Amino acid sequence: MRTSERDPRPSAACASCRRRSWLLAELGATLDYGARDRGRLMELLALGDEELMRAIGGRRRADLKARYARLDIEGVRSVEGVDAVCRHDRRYPRALSGAGAPPMLNVAGGLERLSELTAGPVVAIAGSRRASDYGIEVAKGLARGLAASGVTVTSGLTDGVSVAAHAGALEVRGRSLAVIPGGVDVGYPAKRRSLYERVTRSGCAVAELPCGSPARRWGHPASERIVASLASVTVLVEADETARELLGARLALALGRTLATVPGRVTSPLSRGPHALLVGGAHLVRGPADVLELLCGIRAPGLEGIGRTRPELEPRLRSVLEKVGAGTDTPDKLTASREDAAEVLLALTELELMGLLGRGDGGRYVPRDPLVIECADG
Amino acid sequence: MLARAHTFTIEGLHSRHVTVELDIRRGLPSFAIVGLADAAVREARERVQAAILNSGYEFPARRITANLAPGDVPKAGPGLDLALACALLAASGQLARERLESHALFGELALGGEVTRCRGTLAVAQATRQAGLKALVLAVDAAHEARLVEGLEVAAVAHLSSAVRVLSGGPADRPGQRDALQRSVRVASKRGSADAGPDLREVRGQHHALNAVVIAAAGAHNILLSGPPGTGKTMLAQRVPSILPPMSSAEAIEVTRIHGIAGGTAKGLVNSRPFRAPHHSITAAGLVGGARRGWVGEVVLAHNGILFLDELSEFARPTLEALRQPLEDGRVAIVRARGSAVYPARFMLIAATNPCPCGYAGDGDRCACSEGDLARHRRRLSGPLLDRIDLLVNFERGRTHDLNAAPLMSSTAAREDVALARERQATRLKHEGLAVNAHMDVRALHKHVRLDEKCHAMLRDACERGMLSARGQHRVLRVARTIADLNANGRVRPVDLGAAIALRSDAGIAGSRAA
Repeated sequence: MRTSERDPRPSAACASCRRRSWLLAELGATLDYGARDRGRLMELLALGDEELMRAIGGRRRADLKARYARLDIEGVRSVEGVDAVCRHDRRYPRALSGAGAPPMLNVAGGLERLSELTAGPVVAIAGSRRASDYGIEVAKGLARGLAASGVTVTSGLTDGVSVAAHAGALEVRGRSLAVIPGGVDVGYPAKRRSLYERVTRSGCAVAELPCGSPARRWGHPASERIVASLASVTVLVEADETARELLGARLALALGRTLATVPGRVTSPLSRGPHALLVGGAHLVRGPADVLELLCGIRAPGLEGIGRTRPELEPRLRSVLEKVGAGTDTPDKLTASREDAAEVLLALTELELMGLLGRGDGGRYVPRDPLVIECADG
Repeated sequence: MLARAHTFTIEGLHSRHVTVELDIRRGLPSFAIVGLADAAVREARERVQAAILNSGYEFPARRITANLAPGDVPKAGPGLDLALACALLAASGQLARERLESHALFGELALGGEVTRCRGTLAVAQATRQAGLKALVLAVDAAHEARLVEGLEVAAVAHLSSAVRVLSGGPADRPGQRDALQRSVRVASKRGSADAGPDLREVRGQHHALNAVVIAAAGAHNILLSGPPGTGKTMLAQRVPSILPPMSSAEAIEVTRIHGIAGGTAKGLVNSRPFRAPHHSITAAGLVGGARRGWVGEVVLAHNGILFLDELSEFARPTLEALRQPLEDGRVAIVRARGSAVYPARFMLIAATNPCPCGYAGDGDRCACSEGDLARHRRRLSGPLLDRIDLLVNFERGRTHDLNAAPLMSSTAAREDVALARERQATRLKHEGLAVNAHMDVRALHKHVRLDEKCHAMLRDACERGMLSARGQHRVLRVARTIADLNANGRVRPVDLGAAIALRSDAGIAGSRAA
């Protein structure tokens, strides 16, 4: 169904805001050049239309200005199922009102749903694109717990942690909000097409570029800025110390949002980022409960809850689960003698069937819940 | 003057009866062979002529025509030499004809007249008996193989002159060793593969993998070994033949026949199970056969034994796809422009792979593969082939790799366990016409795998969690049945099913990254 048939107004975005989107697409290549310095990119994105054209229009400046002035914005291609919304509409996420935030978004999944998703608490889950299976399971577990409690999970849709966040939210039929670096109908990257479709079926995907735009290099940091702006809490799961991996956290801090991180092993390079931020004063997150506490001040179960696994778990299962959590995570390591090999395998299978263990790289077992505290569905 | 002799030609894995008709008449001296002869048979003219002359016989300077009947069967190989020479001697009156009617001749001639063995002796011997011929005359060093066929008189000859002697009613070169050989067959099948290669005792640590391999051997399940380089995947795979039960004599004769034709150098009965480990550069035709007429592939050579594919992800996709039919049906049907053939190919597949292109996924932070690399790797391994693999075992690099540790299991002990488990399977599956759990179809599964309440619940949970597909369920049940057989349990208990689910191949090589 086309937007125009449903709504007497052709679009929930005013012409001037949609021109901005057009302009960004036109300046795409130049912005890619600017994206080499992320600080400068953010400054550029914070400029007004006229200033932006003056700043990076270069030789095309006059031509660009002329085309900008006589642009017939209604004639710009619209795509079925994608709605545009701008900051002058009541359904536009309030969190995106700050300087540097995009004035308009193209939305797949419906405007009403977008406003529902952004009306409540929103948590961003950011992290490495090359997370370990610990990071993947932690991100999934966080997203599961948060989404089951009604929190909207937002993230990019690239690799590693961000993909795990969406997958986790979908596992409990929760809602997630994906920010796409290109046109929202392009569904970049192509390998995430099926995940993209599952996300937009229950949640939303948004992008600031017009429909049909290819994803550009600068689109990634730009979409991270939208993720960080949308969320009131950003949780960083596994990141090395490079600027690229820590960008989401830095943007959240710059925007004055709450920053929280999940610790990892000190021997892993992927723990360096979170640990550096923890030293710098970020909140420590052990599981969804800690994030919920940050969001709305609910007391997380305190120390008395930690270390006590599900009380209904049999002792033999509990001991195996604890061992796996402590890094004794393969049948070979768990088996002391040939006689108990069968028992170990049975316990691992039972725990896997209960959803407490998942499989990681190389057949390792990975605990699926980051904390032993039950907070979501228990 | 016309003479006739009987011989055989090899076609695929079978031998076809060929009648050599040889006619000598007046005319310009010539020697023509007709009847779809290949290059090796046409070259027989020169060999036959030289052999006859060098053996002190006379080669008639007349017009000689040899016809190989039936005319529509292509004849290949040098095995027809002996029959041609004897027919020529008979037609020229240097040899009495009556015994040529009841004797089959099979062997290549050297220029000096010596008879040498050719590929496919056992198949020829079997065909000789089927054709109702009384005796088979062939090279001395091929006689062992031919004597495996009961009720056939075998005359070993070292030289063309010996063949002439035999056909004139004289003795063979080394007469009647049948009894001694028959005894050796029986001893061999009892002793089985006791001396088959390396022993499990040499493996240190890795008891999880060891257990899985014993399970696979017990139920003839296909197994995938995954792990970082240098953790002993290949080492363990090479030791699997040592724990398999010995072949029955029927199986051994079938294997001998196949290997005799495909150019194996084995003399006498092959009594250890074949272990074929083709390099990953092999083509589809090399694997299943059909590259040349009569060329059998690795899957056929692995019949009744093991096909080991090391570095599974490096094999070309079409090559692996070609494995589907043999894995499913235990035979391979090859259709080429020049004809079609069905060969037996029932083998146990052992495959080994690294968990990711760099080999170190899951090994701390050593893995340097991007998500795209992993996805590509997973795609190569997944799909229809993985669907036919029952067990997946992950090797790990770790402390347990203490090279000084005590051996966990010896091949002898493991072989006994496996033999007992196979006996139980064979008894149970007798009425289905099967021998091992891996070959149970869905109907047999429902009949022979009874589950208790808890097992049903486990299976249901696994399906609901998306851990098992419908086909995956069947695989898990087969493996669970084998584990129960190893533990001598009549019913499948939760502990058997639990291990089967933990070892399922659906678990994937790199688990959680699949979003």
